[in-house]
Amino acid sequence: MAAIAGPGTPGGRLRAQSPHLSKMERVVVSMQDPDQGVRMRSQRLLITVIPHAVTGSDIVEWLAQKFCISEEEALHLGDLLAQHGYIYPLQEPYSLALRPDETPYRFQTPYFWTSTLWPAAELDYAIYLTKKNIRKQGALVEHEKEHYDQLHKKINHTWDLVVMQAREQLRAAKQRRKGDRLVTACQEQTYWLVNRPPIQSSDFYKREIELSRKALGRTRVKSSICLEAYLKFSSQHSLHDPIMSGCLPSNPWITDDDTYWAMNAPMVAVPTKLRVERWAFSFRELLDDPVGRAYFMDFLQKEFSAENLSFWEACEELRFGGQAQIPDLVDAVYQQFLAPGAARWVNIDSRTMERTLEGLCRPHRYVLDDAQLHIYMLMKKDSYPRFLKSDMYKGLLADAVIPLETKRRVFPFMRKPRHSSPSPALLPTSGEPPATGSTAGGDREG
Amino acid sequence: MAREESKALLDAFNKTTACYHHLVLTVGGSADSQNLREELQKTRQRALELAVTTGARLTVALRDKGLTTEERAEFERLWVAFSGCLDLLEADMQRALALGAAFPLHAPRRPLVRTGVAGSCSGVAARALSARSLRHEAERDFDRADLQELEQEVLQVGKMINEMEMKVNVPRWTVQARQTAGAELLSSASAGASSAVSVPERTGPCDLSKALAATVFSAVLLAAVALALCVAKLS
Repeated sequence: MAAIAGPGTPGGRLRAQSPHLSKMERVVVSMQDPDQGVRMRSQRLLITVIPHAVTGSDIVEWLAQKFCISEEEALHLGDLLAQHGYIYPLQEPYSLALRPDETPYRFQTPYFWTSTLWPAAELDYAIYLTKKNIRKQGALVEHEKEHYDQLHKKINHTWDLVVMQAREQLRAAKQRRKGDRLVTACQEQTYWLVNRPPIQSSDFYKREIELSRKALGRTRVKSSICLEAYLKFSSQHSLHDPIMSGCLPSNPWITDDDTYWAMNAPMVAVPTKLRVERWAFSFRELLDDPVGRAYFMDFLQKEFSAENLSFWEACEELRFGGQAQIPDLVDAVYQQFLAPGAARWVNIDSRTMERTLEGLCRPHRYVLDDAQLHIYMLMKKDSYPRFLKSDMYKGLLADAVIPLETKRRVFPFMRKPRHSSPSPALLPTSGEPPATGSTAGGDREG
Repeated sequence: MAREESKALLDAFNKTTACYHHLVLTVGGSADSQNLREELQKTRQRALELAVTTGARLTVALRDKGLTTEERAEFERLWVAFSGCLDLLEADMQRALALGAAFPLHAPRRPLVRTGVAGSCSGVAARALSARSLRHEAERDFDRADLQELEQEVLQVGKMINEMEMKVNVPRWTVQARQTAGAELLSSASAGASSAVSVPERTGPCDLSKALAATVFSAVLLAAVALALCVAKLS
C-alpha cells in the first residue's frame, strides 16, 4: 500500500488547513444525487441483500463525465477518494485503491469522514481493537496486536472504560439488522485502516515525534513584541491612510476628480509631502517607492557608494525574473560586482563572499541571497540614516507639495457637494461641516 | 453501598453513551430521518440526566474526607472511567451537531450519503432508554429546533466537565485499571455468557456432523455386507 500523504502524516494539521478534504466531500455528495449521481447496485451476500454498492468502473465513468477529464485522471481522482477513506472496497478491505472494473465499493458514512473525526483518538482506537478482539475471540492481525499492547501500556488508566464501552457498543450493535451491522463494521474498519495503516506501525510514532520536534523549533515572536510593532505601525501610518485621515485633494471615488491619483503616481516629478515623510519610517518604504529609490540613488552617487544599490537591484531582478535568464544574469552580476577587480566591486565580508562564489558554480534564483542581505543591512545601517539627515532630504521635504483641498461650492441647489471627503472613521465631534459632509457622503456611499 | 450505587449509575451512563455513539454513526447516511433525530435527542437527554446524577454522586463521595485509601482508590477508578465516558459523549455530541447541520433533512435539500444502511435504529434507542419500544412523535421541522438545543447542551456539558475538574482533583496516571489486557475475552456477565454459548455451538455441529457421517457410513457398510450375504445365500 502506498504511503498516503493525507491522514497518516499530518500529525495535528487542523481541519481548516485541509481544503482538499472539503473538495473531496463535495465530490462525494454530488455523487449521491438521485438523478445525476452514480449508478447504484445491490450487493448480494448469502441471505442478506445490502443496497448502495457501486462498481469501480461506474465511478471512473461518472468522474470523467462530470468533470470532463480523461479516464486516467478520473482513475487517479477516484483512487484518492479511496485512499482517504471516502469509498471502500467490499471484497478486499485491506487494499484501499480504486480498480476500474466490476469490483464493488460503498460510500463511507459522514461520521467516519476524515474531516469529522479528526484527529483519530487513542481511546477510540483502543475501543475498536477491543471490540475486534471480542468478535474474533482473540485472533487479531499482527499489527493490530502490536497496537493493542502498546495502547494497553499507554492508556492503562482508562482501560476499564475501554472494556466497558467495547462491550456496550457491541450490544448496542446487536439491536440492528444483520445487514446494517455488517455495513457499520466495514465502515469502522475502513476508518481505522486509513488512520492507522498496517505498514507504518513503529514509524508512526517516530514521525509524530519528528513533527512535534520541528514544530517546537519554529521561531516564534512573543505577542508583546508583535503587538508593540503593530501599535507603532498603526500610529505612524494613521495620518497617511486615506480612509483613517481623509485624502487631499479629494476622494476620487466620491468627487470624480482623479487629481489624487495623478499626484501620487509611481513616477511623479514632485512627490507629495506625506509621501516624502513616509520615506523616513523605514528603509523598506524608501526602497519600495520608485521616486524615493531614485533620490536615494542620487544621494549614494554623491557618496560614491551607488554600486551597493545597483547590486541590490540586480539581485532583485534575479530573484523575480524569468528562469531562462538566470545563468546569464548571474554571470553579468559576477563580472560587474563580485569579481576581484570588478568595475563596481561591492564590499562583502569574506565568509559570505566565499559561500556566494561556491554557489555560483550551480546558479539558481536564490544564490545571491546572502550577499544581497549583507548589502541591504549595510545600506540600512549606514547610508540610510545619513540620507535622512542629509540636506538633500531636507530639501525634498521643503519642496514637497501639499495638495489643496478642493474648494467647496456653497450653492444651495448643487446636489453634489465637491469637497475633500472626511474620513468615515472620524467621530462627529469636530463641529457642523464634517457632520453634514459625512451624512451627505454617507448617503451616497451607503 | 455508595460504591454499588455509583457503579450501577456508571454502567447505565456507559450504556447510554454507547447507544448514542451508535446512533450518531447513522447521521448523514441513508438511514437518516426525522425519527433518527428524535431518537438522538431522547438518548442524549437521558445520557445528560445520568451524567449529572453520576457526577454529583461521585463528587460527593470523593470530597468525603473520611474515606479509607482502598475506598478512595475505588472511587477514583470510577471517576476516571466516568470522566472518560463524559468526554466521549461530548465529542459525539459535537459531531452530531456538525453532521446535523451539514445534512439538514428539510430545505435546503442536500442528498444524504447512500451508505447501504437501511434499517431503523429504534432498537438501539430503546435499549438506551431501557424501554421496550419507542414512540415517534416529532413535528416536521424538528431537526432545526433540535440543533439549537443540541448546541446549548454541548456548551452545558463543557461547563459541567470544567466544574467537575475544579471540584475534584484526581490525577489520571495514579489510577490502576482493574481490567488487564485481554480481559474482555474472559467470560463476565452476559457478554461472556453469549460467547460461552456460541463456543460450544461452533464445536457442537462439527461433532454432530462427524457422528452423523460415521453412523451413515457404518449403516451403508452393514447393508452392503447383508446384501452380499443374501446374494451368497441365494446363489
